[in-house]
Amino acid sequence: MKKKIAVIGLGNPLRRDDAIGILLLQYLSQNKKKLSKTIDFIDGGTSGLNLLHLLGDYETVLLLDAVDFKGSTGEIKKFTVDEIKNQKIQLFLSTHEPDFLTVYALLKELDRAPTRLVIFGVQPKDISYGTRVSQEICSFLPTLQKQILEEIQSMTKSL
Amino acid sequence: MSKDFSVHVEHVTRVEGHGNIILDVKNGKIEKLQWNVVEAPRFFEAMLRGQHYNELRPITSRICGICSIGHSLASLKATEDALGVKITSQTATLRRLAIHAENMQSHILHIGYLVVPDLFGAGSVFSLLGKHTDTVLKVVKLHRLANEMSDLICGRTIHPIRLVVGGFSLQPTEKQLIQLKKRLLEAQELTMELAPVILSVAGNLPSFTRETEYIGLTSDEEYSLYEGDIASTDTGRHPNYREYKEIMQEYIVPHSTAKYAKHARESYMVGALARFNLNSRQLHPVAQDIASLFKLKAINYNPFMNTIAQLAEFAHSIQDSISLIDILVDQGIKQEKPVKPAKKAGRGVGIVEVPRGILVHDYTLNSQGYCTKANCIIPTNQNHANIQKDMEKLVPEIINRPEKEIELTLEMLVRAYDPCISCSTHYLDVSFK
Repeated sequence: MKKKIAVIGLGNPLRRDDAIGILLLQYLSQNKKKLSKTIDFIDGGTSGLNLLHLLGDYETVLLLDAVDFKGSTGEIKKFTVDEIKNQKIQLFLSTHEPDFLTVYALLKELDRAPTRLVIFGVQPKDISYGTRVSQEICSFLPTLQKQILEEIQSMTKSL
Repeated sequence: MSKDFSVHVEHVTRVEGHGNIILDVKNGKIEKLQWNVVEAPRFFEAMLRGQHYNELRPITSRICGICSIGHSLASLKATEDALGVKITSQTATLRRLAIHAENMQSHILHIGYLVVPDLFGAGSVFSLLGKHTDTVLKVVKLHRLANEMSDLICGRTIHPIRLVVGGFSLQPTEKQLIQLKKRLLEAQELTMELAPVILSVAGNLPSFTRETEYIGLTSDEEYSLYEGDIASTDTGRHPNYREYKEIMQEYIVPHSTAKYAKHARESYMVGALARFNLNSRQLHPVAQDIASLFKLKAINYNPFMNTIAQLAEFAHSIQDSISLIDILVDQGIKQEKPVKPAKKAGRGVGIVEVPRGILVHDYTLNSQGYCTKANCIIPTNQNHANIQKDMEKLVPEIINRPEKEIELTLEMLVRAYDPCISCSTHYLDVSFK
C-alpha cells in the first residue's frame, strides 16, 4: 500500500541556487508541526534514477526544485508534468543522471506513478559551483519559505 | 574503402554528464577523434578549504548523486587518518555494508537501465519495458533492495546522514539486519535469474581488446572495496597510500576541461573490470560462477566487459553482505558512540573503491580542525585517457561499418565505463504549454 504524501526537495547545495529545493525542504521539515502528520520530508538531492522508488511509494508527491522557466529570479511556479511543453527533449538532454521527468515517465510505464505530482519550481539566478546561493535568492528566501508553507498547508489539509 | 563522414555525439545519453564523441573521417582516414569532456571546473577542493572537519563529509557526499556513500567514506577515512581516529570493528563492518549497498545500487542501475537496453537493441529502458517486462521488473526489484539497504545502513537512499567521523550516528537493529538478510537471499535468486537473460544477449557486447594498465585497491584479506593497498596490473602493490600521486598522475589535455590521469602507460582503467583483473580470485564463488558463465577471466582487456564485472561484483556484494550481517548478528549489534579524534591537526588520506573505481580524498587540517588543503581524485577522471585510447584503437577496426553502427559502438564504449561527468545538478530548463 502506498504512503500518503511526500515533500521531496531536489538539487545540489554545491551548485549555489540549485540548493533552493533542499533549503525549502529543510524549512518545511523544521516547521512540520504546522503541517499534516501524514507528510514525509525527503531530501532527494541529485539522486536521479534512485528517486524511482521514493516517488513511486507515495500517492501524492510535492517536489521542490530549481527550475529555469525564464521567469524572474526567485519567482515560484506551481505546475504539473503535463503542463511542461518540452519534456520529451529534456528526457534525452538531462545534464547528468536522468532527471525526475525521466523517472516519472518510467514510473508511469511501470504503473507506479504517484496519483498526484505537483512541482514547485523556483527560478534560480546562478547554478555555478559554490556553496552559497546568490544574493537575490538569499533575499527572497523568507518570502519563498512563507509562500511554500502556506501552499502546502492548503494543499494537504484535506489529505 | 574511402569515405567521408562525421560522428558527433554530444551529451551521450544515459551517461551521467556531458561527454562528446567527435569523429571526423575524410577519404576513409581519421582526421579527428576525441573523447571530449565539457564540464565546468568543479572546484570541490576550494569548497572544502575553510570548512570544519565535521562538515567535510556532508559536503563531499553531494559531489555525486550515485557515489555519495563512497565519497562519504573516502572523506571520513581521510579525516580520521588526519585526526588519529581508530574506528571500531563494528563500524568497519557497517561501512563495508554501506559500500556494498552503493555498489549494488549503482551497478544494477548501470547494468539494467543503461547497458541491457543496448544489448537488446532497445534504445532505452522504456522500449525494453514493452518487450521484456519481466527483465525490467527484476532490475527494478534489485534496484529497490539496494536503495533500501542504503537507507537502512546510512539513513538515506542517497546523500547518507548516519556516516560520521569516528563511526555512525545510529546503527541498524538486529531485527532490521535479519530482515535485510532475508531480502538479500531473495535478491541472490533474482540475480541468478537475470544473469542468463543478459547472457542471451551478451554476444552483442563488442569483442574488442586493448591492453592497458588496471589500477585499484587490493588486500590479502578480502575482495577490496573499503580497504587495501593501491595496486596495478603492471607494477604490483604500492603500500604507501599517502604517496598516491606517484600512481595517479593527473594532467590536463587541451580538448577537455576534465583532468586526465596516467601511470605506467599512456592511460589506465579503474572500476569493476580493474578490480576484477586485480582481485577476481577473492570474489565469492557465486560471483566467480557468474564471471565463468560469461567467460570473463583475469586479465580481460575488453572494456565492454566492465558491465559483466559489475554483474559479478553485484552477486559478490550480496553474498559478502550476508556474511557481514551474520558477523554483526553473532557478535550482537551495539549502539556505539562515534570515536572521538585523538588530535585536531594533521594530514590524512582516505582511499576507497566506489562503483566507478578507486577514489582518493586527501585533507590537511589545522590546529582548530579546519581544512586548509584538499585534493580529490575521482574515478571517472582516471578513465578519460583510457576511453580516448580505446577509441583510437577501436575506430580503425570498425571504420568500414555503417556510420550508425560506429556511432552506437562508440556510445556503448563510453557507457561501459559508466562515467560520471559533472555529476552534480539535475536543474531543469522548461517551457510551458
